[in-house]
Amino acid sequence: MPYDVTITRLPLRALFDLKGRAAALEKWCGTALPPFPGRPNSRTEAADRGLHWTGPDRWLLMAPLAEEAALATALRADKVPVDLSITPVSDTLTFFAVTGPDVAEVMAVATPLDLHPDSFPPDGASWTEAFGIRSAIRTIAAGYEIAVDRSYADWFEESLRLACT
Amino acid sequence: MLLIDCPFCGPRNETEFTYGGPALAPRPADPGAVSDADWVDWVTVPPNPMGPVEERWWHSRGCGAWLTIRRHTVTHEITEVRLGR
Repeated sequence: MPYDVTITRLPLRALFDLKGRAAALEKWCGTALPPFPGRPNSRTEAADRGLHWTGPDRWLLMAPLAEEAALATALRADKVPVDLSITPVSDTLTFFAVTGPDVAEVMAVATPLDLHPDSFPPDGASWTEAFGIRSAIRTIAAGYEIAVDRSYADWFEESLRLACT
Repeated sequence: MLLIDCPFCGPRNETEFTYGGPALAPRPADPGAVSDADWVDWVTVPPNPMGPVEERWWHSRGCGAWLTIRRHTVTHEITEVRLGR
């Protein structure tokens, strides 16, 4: 019997890869960023922007695509000092929403990441692997969002649908 | 399958990591001062005991950090994981 799960390919988003010390980034970016997350592999949100702490001295800023130009201006990515790096990566990732009552069953096939709420709370966000490729996973209402390199998107969507059968 | 306790991410599957070779002894400060045999040893002979070794692993599908782990080559027990060298 197929699992009761809905897979939705989501539109492109504005994405910025941020590297550097948190204090230096905070000083450079000012109010353009949500507050920095206090725990590794978690995220904070302010208005419609999300800041994900994905690695040591590394963050992923996410916003609707319509905000990309305004964010690029606010972050002054082309003028950052040498100890920081701000790179627009909006067109690199394709996002899928995986939701539904059986979402845990499908995610268990897709990824070895421990998604129990004790290990991966509602503000969780992490790079990991899914179907053997690097992917970013974060929690949303009723499920998860998974992002993969855009060139893998068609194959990845097919793999997700196969896992539902 | 190894379960590597990344200091940033917590326990993760070995498949998220890329093996980065043995954690070698520090490079001799003056290579000219060591014997040819010692230099060849340092460059080309990885430690391969039946016991604990130190290895470098890259969390390539996770947080991107380079780790040094201490692993027993017989039991695969990992007794230490640290960021960097």
